[in-house]
Amino acid sequence: MILLGEFALWISLPVALWGMVLGYTGGRTQRGDLVLSAERSVYAVFLLLALASSGVVAAFLGDRFEYWYVANYSNRELELFYKITGLWAGQRGSLLFWALLLGFFSSLAVFMNRAKNREFMPYVAGVLQTILAFFIVVLLFANVNPFEQLGFTPANGQGLNPQLQNYWMTIHPPTLYLGFTAFTIPFAFGIAALLSGRLDSRWIQLTRRWILTSWLFLSVGIVMGMRWAYEELGWGGYWFWDPVENASLLPWLTATAFLHSIQIQETRGMLKVWNMSLVLLTFLLTIFATFLTRSGLIESVHSFAQEIRIALIFLGFMGAVLAASIVLILYRLPSLKSDNQIESFVSRESAFLFNNLMFIGIAFTVMWGTMFPLISEGVTGQQISVGPPFFQKVNFPLGLILLALAGIGPVIAWRRATKKNLQRNFSTPVIVGLVVAAALWISGARHALALTTWGISAFVLTVIVTEFWKGTRARARIEGEGYATALFHLVSRNRRRWGGYIVHVAIVFIFMAFAGAAYNVDERIHMVPGDVAEVTSPMGHTYALTYEGLSVSLNNGQRNLMWQAIATVSVTKDGKPQGILTTEKRRYATQEAGAPPMTEVGIRSYPLEDLYLILSALDDIEGAVSADSEAQGLDLQVLIKPLVSWIWLGTLTLVGGTLIALWPSVDRRRAAETEPELAAEPATAGASD
Amino acid sequence: MTFYLGVALVVAAVLLFILQPVVKGLHASLERGDDELTETEARKRVALLALRDVEYDFLAGKLDEDDYRSMKSQLTAEALAALEADEAARGAGAATTDADLEAEIARVRAGLRSGVVCADCGFANDKGSRFCSACGHALHGKAVGEAAGR
Repeated sequence: MILLGEFALWISLPVALWGMVLGYTGGRTQRGDLVLSAERSVYAVFLLLALASSGVVAAFLGDRFEYWYVANYSNRELELFYKITGLWAGQRGSLLFWALLLGFFSSLAVFMNRAKNREFMPYVAGVLQTILAFFIVVLLFANVNPFEQLGFTPANGQGLNPQLQNYWMTIHPPTLYLGFTAFTIPFAFGIAALLSGRLDSRWIQLTRRWILTSWLFLSVGIVMGMRWAYEELGWGGYWFWDPVENASLLPWLTATAFLHSIQIQETRGMLKVWNMSLVLLTFLLTIFATFLTRSGLIESVHSFAQEIRIALIFLGFMGAVLAASIVLILYRLPSLKSDNQIESFVSRESAFLFNNLMFIGIAFTVMWGTMFPLISEGVTGQQISVGPPFFQKVNFPLGLILLALAGIGPVIAWRRATKKNLQRNFSTPVIVGLVVAAALWISGARHALALTTWGISAFVLTVIVTEFWKGTRARARIEGEGYATALFHLVSRNRRRWGGYIVHVAIVFIFMAFAGAAYNVDERIHMVPGDVAEVTSPMGHTYALTYEGLSVSLNNGQRNLMWQAIATVSVTKDGKPQGILTTEKRRYATQEAGAPPMTEVGIRSYPLEDLYLILSALDDIEGAVSADSEAQGLDLQVLIKPLVSWIWLGTLTLVGGTLIALWPSVDRRRAAETEPELAAEPATAGASD
Repeated sequence: MTFYLGVALVVAAVLLFILQPVVKGLHASLERGDDELTETEARKRVALLALRDVEYDFLAGKLDEDDYRSMKSQLTAEALAALEADEAARGAGAATTDADLEAEIARVRAGLRSGVVCADCGFANDKGSRFCSACGHALHGKAVGEAAGR
């Protein structure tokens, strides 16, 4: 099985190259047989990559430590679940896994379009096979072959980094990879549009669902990473502008910009070159993200790899894609003229444009902050780190402008907004925003940035709730429906619009939570059993924490675990008992000697704040581990983190909104038949589908 | 032994699968399907949807009367142009002409026109106008009826 997997990986390369050549030539010469062969080769590559991946999983399950990859990411004691997920635990496997997912999406795209959109498909198959071939070349020739053998068989493997032995960490990378790889499909269609010369918005309409799907996976994947950091890294935060976090954020930023700017192209026929550039940029950033995470170029919590050859192959490929795409865009430039021009500075078009500028601005900041330490190290030889203050200084204002645009965009008029239009739609929301900010100020909140965020949040929420209300009311009036029915029909008639608004609400929730960090409480208290500490939260609640004692277990429970010291703390909130919370220090057999023990935190979530306990240090580790009852003193770090739950709540809302926007609408043909009647039921529908 | 058997099977299956179209001359279609929108159809659709949007904004109380009227006349002119362009393209590609669709388009167009929208400048004139009050162009329709498409 393992050998067959390795063999399958080798023959997937000629098959991918075959499909690449035939796709382009078949499209060029309009020969259906070549195109069919190219399309079939996409399925073939996917199946071969599936075979190769099964080979890797088989090597993990069979404890075949003669393979470098297995020896480095597993050992006999590792739980079965983590052996299977070993496929994406390290650089080598995750590159194969990436190619596998890309093969899957490519096959899906080819299959779904087997009988339609045929003018694009030869080139789509060609582009997809080019990218697949690239990943297979990396796997085979960049010194990262997961099937590489050591030449001897170690008695046991190195085991898996304990920080990766976490539920979120097993699903966070695949989710991100799904987002990254799914975005290859819109890119392939964009290039196919350039190659085939069909340059209207068709390629965008065809890939809208792919873009949304990719965006959904990216968003959820990023938040899962935040959740993992929050629960597992033990420093009480969820985002640290770490290069790997940034790498996943970059394509998300440009993809979000793209999601907005395509709407201008669809409705107004503008920004065609810009959209091509954004799809190219986003695709390159997904490749860049793999490159950053999986080449070990930048030191970070996540970077486990140390190769430089792979970096050069990646950079070469990205350079080639960039150059080829730019040549294509220039070649087609005359056909990419805008159908219209922006008529006024105060219009929905320009709101969209501002939105794009902000996203690109943030993307550049993040890119610069991520790359600067690397460049500087390359030039001066000194390591400099760019900390969160840099990112925050630039991104907070830009982020706030974006937040405000989330409320302005949906209601400002297309083309030209008149003064009356602005007054009509924005007076109430602006007043609500100001009132909320003032009320918070009076109640004692003084942090300017947080107040601004919450004020703008109130503004956006008012705008969107009003939108829903006005739409529902108009529909209820015209169709004579009850309000609930009217709301349901309103949303289901134009899922894209209303789903998008729900996502805006989700973003507001998440921003509100970010602003909550301005009111974090952080206290470090030395405690011995029986001690009681009181901590008061910014919301005015008082937590009384009683340290009940330390329990130590040796070689117990989870495999690979040498010892764990569990501090038990019982909690009351405003005098009411809230049960117990535990926080731990753990030592794993797979950790290097001398490395500090791992920390497990204790979290209790409430709707408005989280209580977060960290066992920051044991007074006497040796004593504690040998169960000396005198050695139970410890430093307890008590954090109170307002509104963190709203990040997770916002993410669920975001998923809901995106799914509404994604849900297939009425059958296309039926839509086409009823089209001329669109004008006859205006209030029931809304913006373009 | 089983390894070589596996290899032989995989290679044979792959080759058969991807070479068959070329050898046997199986062709994938490269034509646009009948139900797929052409460029002019897509433009027409966008124009009609924009009209629908303005109506929605007006009925939901987001646009006042003046804004509504001026935007509507502008959009109507654009929609009309898109309809005509589509019709022209359709005429050129005669084969796809479909009586049903023709009738529908005519209906929509009549609806747009009955609002006494000036075909020249797009201005929406008052009921009963015979000449456009913005540009003086003679109005095609007999200047009857109310606003579009109902």
